[in-house]
Amino acid sequence: MNSMIYKNKKPLLVFLVPAFAFLIVFLYYPFFQNVVNTFMRIGGLGRAAQGLNTPWYENYRRLFTDPYMHTALQNTLLLTLCTIVFQVGIALILALLVDTIRVGAQFFRTVYFFPIVISATALGLMFNLIFLYKGGMVNQLLLSLGRLPYEVKPSGKVLVQWLDWKDQAHFLFTMFMPVMWQYVGFYFVILVTGLNNISPDLFEAAALDGADGWKRTRYITLPLLRNVLCTCLVLAITGALKVFDLPWVMFGAGMPENRGWLTGTYMYDQTFNRMNVDYGSTIAVLIVVLGVVLSNVANRVFRPSDDL
Amino acid sequence: MNTGIKKIPRVLTYLVLSFWALTTIYPFIWVLLNSFRKKGLILSDSFSIPLGDAFTWDNYITAWQRADFKNAYFNSFLISGTVTIFVVIIAGLAAYGLVRYRFRGRDFLYSLIMAGMMFPVFSTIIPVFRLEVMLGIAGTGNRWLSLLAVILPQIAGNLCFAIIILMGFIQSVPIDLEESAYLDGCNVFQIYFYIIIPAAKSSFATVAIFAFLWSYNDLFTQSFFLRYPQERAITGLLNEISSQAGVNYGLMASSVVLVVIPVLIVYICLQKHIIKGLTAGAVKG
Amino acid sequence: MKKALALLLALIMVLSLGAVAWADGVTLNVVTSYGGDDGNRGNFEAAVKAYEASTGNKVNDGSATSNEEWKAKVLTDFETGSEPDVLFFFTNADAEPFISAGKVVSIEEIRAEYPDYATNMRDSMLAVASDGKQYAVPSYGYWENMFVNKTVLADCGIEVPGPDYTWDQFLADCETIKANGYTPIACSLVEVPHYWFEFLVMNNGTVANHLDIPAAADDAAGAKWVAALEDFKALYEAGYFPANTLTASDAETVEMFNQGEAAFLIDGSWKVGYFTENAADLNDFAISYVPAKGERKASEAIGGISMGYFITRKAWDDPAKREAAVEFVSQLTSDDVLSTFVTTEVTALINGAKPAGLNPLQQSAADANANITAIAGAVQDTITGEAKADLFGNIQNVVTGKMSATDAVAAAIALN
Repeated sequence: MNSMIYKNKKPLLVFLVPAFAFLIVFLYYPFFQNVVNTFMRIGGLGRAAQGLNTPWYENYRRLFTDPYMHTALQNTLLLTLCTIVFQVGIALILALLVDTIRVGAQFFRTVYFFPIVISATALGLMFNLIFLYKGGMVNQLLLSLGRLPYEVKPSGKVLVQWLDWKDQAHFLFTMFMPVMWQYVGFYFVILVTGLNNISPDLFEAAALDGADGWKRTRYITLPLLRNVLCTCLVLAITGALKVFDLPWVMFGAGMPENRGWLTGTYMYDQTFNRMNVDYGSTIAVLIVVLGVVLSNVANRVFRPSDDL
Repeated sequence: MNTGIKKIPRVLTYLVLSFWALTTIYPFIWVLLNSFRKKGLILSDSFSIPLGDAFTWDNYITAWQRADFKNAYFNSFLISGTVTIFVVIIAGLAAYGLVRYRFRGRDFLYSLIMAGMMFPVFSTIIPVFRLEVMLGIAGTGNRWLSLLAVILPQIAGNLCFAIIILMGFIQSVPIDLEESAYLDGCNVFQIYFYIIIPAAKSSFATVAIFAFLWSYNDLFTQSFFLRYPQERAITGLLNEISSQAGVNYGLMASSVVLVVIPVLIVYICLQKHIIKGLTAGAVKG
Repeated sequence: MKKALALLLALIMVLSLGAVAWADGVTLNVVTSYGGDDGNRGNFEAAVKAYEASTGNKVNDGSATSNEEWKAKVLTDFETGSEPDVLFFFTNADAEPFISAGKVVSIEEIRAEYPDYATNMRDSMLAVASDGKQYAVPSYGYWENMFVNKTVLADCGIEVPGPDYTWDQFLADCETIKANGYTPIACSLVEVPHYWFEFLVMNNGTVANHLDIPAAADDAAGAKWVAALEDFKALYEAGYFPANTLTASDAETVEMFNQGEAAFLIDGSWKVGYFTENAADLNDFAISYVPAKGERKASEAIGGISMGYFITRKAWDDPAKREAAVEFVSQLTSDDVLSTFVTTEVTALINGAKPAGLNPLQQSAADANANITAIAGAVQDTITGEAKADLFGNIQNVVTGKMSATDAVAAAIALN
């Protein structure tokens, strides 16, 4: 793989310096400040630190003993797993299917993109109304199918026992489903691009060898997509760890009864609602560390050996 | 141009695709319908078609009256356009360098980039703001400097994911092409511009779409740096108009429509390039 | 590639041109919370226009919607020296960072040069900072009280409660309402137990000692808070809150009340605007009184003024802006201008506000206010944000028995 062309390392500077200059000034330096903040006492976002924490590692100690953090990690890891399986999985199936058709391909490519474009505030409101307790779309449907118990009061008022989609028995579904659904389009676009990059010559050659249909997908398309699929994997892991806006709009501060925290929502709550900026920063550090470790593991396992 | 799964009946293919399309179109229609619904009816009845008494243009009229749209769209496009151009250029160079060169510290740089993707904007915004005030970019009250103050951190924020995606695509470009170009006397920069960019053109278009979208929708950074009316960008402006305690859902729906339509246009325009890459045969032997 | 370069160059040109072309004359940078969908946004903008017309100055209006992110932005501005000239902001502990840093000018100092500054306000109602000085000129305030849905009450055969409403009567009414298939109290315990908390604390104490902050869970003030949390638990266990009160959003429960599915709602003066815009018929609702227990009377409520105009040191020290800023605040807090902002809210105006034309619900609020015998500020505004968030976050744990009321109060005090 290491071709003659790339033996001379000097041009590398031109390739890497612009990107890393930007990253260092506007990303790594600020994040370094964030790491410093984890050892401080800070009374609210935008306020100056009041000095070192006592003991200085207090926030990290708290991180490992905080039961809500524990819940947040559990939920987030589950979400990561679901993201990989369902989001990337559905996106892959849709991308492969769209690739087999001519009529309407453009249409599907366009509409699958819609959910990413619409703001989380609007989608959150919509899902809140779909899963609304009293007279929400799903509950109305269940009622008309006769799946909800109800009683009639002497006054003639009908009292329905609505299903609470955000209670402890149902919240995981209600929280994960919209998140999964929203970002399928993202991976779909990336995978479609990857499919388009595959040379048609390869398929012609394969056709001559008699490989067709499923065989072709299995032995040509998927191996050639491997790099792109790995990229999707990394994006799915990092994406799931910092998912924030949709769950925040729908579940706020850890609904139901502090079982519904995610690392992203917990960090936001600590930073903005509880003015606990230093602890919020510590959660941010944990998110980053987890993301790097998990992505590296994923790469080790799935990437072709020679590449990153 | 079939990549496989020939055995699956056409009908089933379309059935599956259409089902998913329904789920993605529905919310857009829902938002569109509710943007024409009378205030106060959205919470009680959001799933019907607003007809007769329930129908109103008010949400659009209010939005229109309250905001200087021309200015805000201009600011948005200036910000997101600039961010997109810089991200694509800079990330392309970095991704190419990281994929093709083998050097010490490469794994480390890759991990750094992955980490960069995870930095929550909430934890980096204050240091960035302080830095930019020190440099005299942010908080000056000058419209153009304020826009620049948003552009710079947004470029940095979008670089990491762009590099990661482009790396995945560039890895798939067969190295033989570059080797034969090299034998023909091209240097690495010529190889980058004449071989890699055309070969991965659709990938660059994809990255451009997302860079534009993230930048355009990045409410938090926008609202932090753009305070005064003449510097507001469209997403922040409309969010501001419709935000108060989440009460006015009709106004919110109309805002969403006004925000989304330009992005869809950009997507449809850039998407053509993805397809072009396909019909031209992405990799010319 | 060439196209991109051309665009880049064009951009740099535009940027450099923009840097040169900047207006002269006095331009005041003003930041307020009258952005977004604020009910008084129109009144504020009209007042600003009038100011611009009468003085020839320009106002650069950076108003936004008030929330935690906005507060963080404002504080960061002060930290980095990019604060506005005039700021309309909270006068409680939120303002302490820039007050103690000497970044705003006290009313006393301004009066040394402009003796008439804020003289139309009652001095006793101006917020006092931790250094004993007054900084902000108040605009208008708020009240908190009980909204009732008259249709639901009528259906259950219950009269709209008067200023002598007792706790026992309230519990009996709740039972009747529940038996009739309605939800007695519209409240999201997980999102906004804030208003109930204030009144439950007052019910276990008096108006006079309402603002006492506990130093420990077992001192006198602590005992009030613990008793308040236990009242929450009793109401929860009796099933008077919505069935999904632990998973419902505030918007959802308020809408429930609006739709005639719940009878009582404790909320603030700003909700009058919500019902004015969203209710099918305003005559379905009335402002009543929160039932009283112990020494408190039902005619005693929560209210006060929580925001006001600050002039920053930066503007004061700028000879060109000093006068403009003082004039701006004076105009926006004049009797005439404030009367356009106020309908039924508390004001600090010596002469009171004279609002024009009230709708039925506003009239109901004005009638109720006329019977109010005493008000106290909200005690939750005097504790740190961290303590407040912790306390309200734990209410769900208290009502479900996961945490004792004493532990919840102790945990909050530890953060204060």
